[in-house]
Amino acid sequence: MLLLTALLAIALAACGGGAKSGGGGGNGGEGSPQASGNASGGSSDGSSGGGTKDPEPVTLRVAWWGSQPRHDYTLQVIEMYQQKYPHVKIEPEYANFDDYWKKLAPQAAANDLPDIIQMDISYISQYGGNGQLEDLTPYLGSIINIDHISENAISGGKIGDKLYGFNIGVNTIQFQYDPELLKRLGVDTLDENWTWDDYYELAGKASEAGLYFDSGFRPEVFFGYYLRTKGQHLYSPDGTSLGYDDDQLFIDFFAPLAKLVADGDAPTPDVKAQVKGLEDDLLVKGQQVGIWQWTNQFVALQQVANRPLEMHHMPGPNREQGLYLKPSMYFSISKNSKHKEEAARFIDFWVNDIEANKLIKGDRGVPVNSQVIEAVKPTLDPALVKVFDYVAWAQENSSPMDPPDPPGAAEVIALFKEVTEAMDFGKLSPEDAAKRFREEANAILAKNK
Amino acid sequence: MSMRFAAWRETLTGYAFISPFLLGFLIFTAFPIAASLYLSFTDYNLFSPPSWVGLEQYQTMFTGDPKFWKSLRVTFIYVFAGVPLRLSFALLVALLLNRASRAIGVYRTVYYLPSIIGGSVAVSIMWRNLYGDEGVINKALNFFGLESVRWFADPLAALWMLITLSVWQFGSSMLIFLAGLKNIPPSLYEAASVDGANVLQRFIRITMPMLTPVVLFNLIMQTIAAFMTFIPAYIISKGEGGPLDGTLLYSLYLFRRAFVFYDMGYAAAMAWVLLAIVALLTALVFFTSKYWVFYETKED
Repeated sequence: MLLLTALLAIALAACGGGAKSGGGGGNGGEGSPQASGNASGGSSDGSSGGGTKDPEPVTLRVAWWGSQPRHDYTLQVIEMYQQKYPHVKIEPEYANFDDYWKKLAPQAAANDLPDIIQMDISYISQYGGNGQLEDLTPYLGSIINIDHISENAISGGKIGDKLYGFNIGVNTIQFQYDPELLKRLGVDTLDENWTWDDYYELAGKASEAGLYFDSGFRPEVFFGYYLRTKGQHLYSPDGTSLGYDDDQLFIDFFAPLAKLVADGDAPTPDVKAQVKGLEDDLLVKGQQVGIWQWTNQFVALQQVANRPLEMHHMPGPNREQGLYLKPSMYFSISKNSKHKEEAARFIDFWVNDIEANKLIKGDRGVPVNSQVIEAVKPTLDPALVKVFDYVAWAQENSSPMDPPDPPGAAEVIALFKEVTEAMDFGKLSPEDAAKRFREEANAILAKNK
Repeated sequence: MSMRFAAWRETLTGYAFISPFLLGFLIFTAFPIAASLYLSFTDYNLFSPPSWVGLEQYQTMFTGDPKFWKSLRVTFIYVFAGVPLRLSFALLVALLLNRASRAIGVYRTVYYLPSIIGGSVAVSIMWRNLYGDEGVINKALNFFGLESVRWFADPLAALWMLITLSVWQFGSSMLIFLAGLKNIPPSLYEAASVDGANVLQRFIRITMPMLTPVVLFNLIMQTIAAFMTFIPAYIISKGEGGPLDGTLLYSLYLFRRAFVFYDMGYAAAMAWVLLAIVALLTALVFFTSKYWVFYETKED
C-alpha cells in the first residue's frame, strides 16, 4: 500500500502547483488599486529620471526565453539598468522556449508570475484574456516614452482595446541561404519575384547535388502566410475556429512539401530530430542550402555558420498580401506584480535606451524606436544591417498582420506538427492530413466559444 | 488530574516528534492527492478557477481520445518488454557477482553505477547520441556488416531505445537479488552437490525457488517504476513523444496535457486511471504469487 501512495505522490505531484490557485485567486484584486495609484505617482517620478531621493528598494523578476547569447546580453542590460537605478534589484528567470511556457503556466495559477514577462504572439491572448496581464495603456507616454515609436508597432500587442504586451522588436519571414551552396544547384541568384512553382523546381534539384534544400516550414507560420496570399486566414477573427474551410488549400501547400521530403530534397523528421542545436544545424554543417525563418534569427545563424549568408523574399504570387510585420516578442507586466510602475520603467529603458540597444542589437527583432535604429545601426555588423534593411523594406511591402493567435494555439501548433510529421514520414496522405487537421483544430478552437 | 495531563502531554510530545513527517505528508502528499482527485472532475486550464464537469474527463478519455489509447499501448509494451528483460539481466549479473573474488567490491560498484546516474537527464542525452544515425550503435552494426537502423524514424525502434535504457539501469534490482542469493544457505548447495546435481539443476531446484520472494518484490517495484517512467521519454523525444507517438509514454502524455495544453482536469483524471491500472496489476501479481512464490516458513 505504501508503494501505491508513493506512486500517487509522484504521478500527481504535477497537480500540486495547480492546487494552490484556489486560495490565491483573490490576490489579483489587490494589485489594481495600487496600480492606478502608481500610474499617477509614476509620471512625476519618471520625468525626474534617476529618482535620487532614496526611492524604496524594489526587486523585479524578469523572465524570458532564448538561447545562450540572448541570456548573456540580457544579463548585461539588466546589470546596466541596476547601475542606473541602484534601488532596483532584478532577478532574472530564463529558459528555452518550451520549458519557459511549462514554468510560466503554474506560476500564473499560483499568482506568482514574474513582474516582467517576455510574451509570445501565440500566448498573449491566453494570458491576457484570462486576466494575468496588466493593460499597459496607462503607462504609455507617462512612464514608457513612445515619442519615437509608431502606433502600428504598439498596436501589435493589443487584444481588443487592451494593450497586454509591449512590442520589443519587429520581425518578418524570409528565406536565408548560403549562396555558395545554391550555386551547386546550378543557380547563381534567386529571382526577385519567384513563385512557389519556382521554389519546388529549384528545391527538387537538391538531392542530385547531395544537399537538402531547406528544413521545411514551421506550419503555423508559413501556412499562415500562404493562406494570406490566398486572401484567407489561419484563424477566424473571433478565434473560435480555423479561418479557412477548404481542405484544398492545405493540400496545395503541404503535398509538394511532403514530396520534397520523400524525394530526399528536404530532411525527414528523424534527421531533423537529431539536430541538437544551431551548432549542428544542417545548414551550418554545409548540408543544406537554406532555411525559412524569422529575420531576427539570421544573425545567430550567420554567427554560427561563420560564412557569408544571404536573405531572400518569400515566394509569391501575392507576396505583399501575404507578408506581414510581427512583434517578434513582447514584454508584458503581470497583473500580480507589486511594482508595475517600476516594471514599466524597465520596459521604457529596454525600448528607448540607446546604449542598452547597442547590446540588444536586433536579437529580439528590429527595435521599434526609430531614433534607436538610427543611433544603433552604424555600430552593427553587416549581417545585422541586412536584417534592419530587410525589415525596413518589408515595412513598405507587406500588409497588416492577423490578430494574435487565439487561446488554444499551442495545441493547434502541436497538432500541426503531428500531422506534418506523419505526412513527411509518408504515413498520412495530404488529403487525410487536411481533413484530420481541420476537424481536430476546429474542435480545439471551439472551446473558445 | 495531573496523571491525565501527563498522559496527554506524552501524546502531544509524540505528535511533536513525528510532526515533520506528518506535516510533510499532509502538505506534500495527502493534500495534492485530494486536490488531484477533485481536479479530475473539473475542467481546469490554470488561469480560471476549476469548473465542475463530473465524469466528463473520464468519458472523453475512454471514448473520444485515440491518443490516450495510443499512449497506453506504448506504455504496456514498454512495461511488459522492459521489466522482464531488466529483471533477467539483473539476476544474471547478480549470479555473476555472487562469487568470491578479490575485486568483487569494484565490480559491484561498477555495475551499480548506471542505476545511480540512470534517471538523470545527462544519461538520456547520451542515449540519444548513442542511437543517432551516426552514433555508436549504428557504427557497431555497420562493423558487423549490418545496415544502420534509423532509430528516430520508426516508432517501435524508438521505443526500443527506451527499453534498452531501462534494462541498462538494472542496478537496484541486482543488489536486491544479490542480497537474496547471499541468504540461501550454502548447506543446500552442498547437499545437492553430494547428490550429484549439476549447476543448472542447482539453479532451477534451489536458487530459483529460494529466490522467488525477492523476485516478487522486484517485480512489483519495477513494474510500478516502469509505469511512471518519464525522464528518458521526455528527453529522448524532446518532450513530444515522437516519432509518430512511438515514445509517448503515459506519463509523458499526461505531462503534455497538463503543462503544454494547460488541461489540468484531464491530466488529473489520467493520473487516477493510471493509479487504477497499476493497483489492478499489483493486485493481480499478489494474487498469483501464492502459486509461484516459495516461503521457507510454510511447511507443506
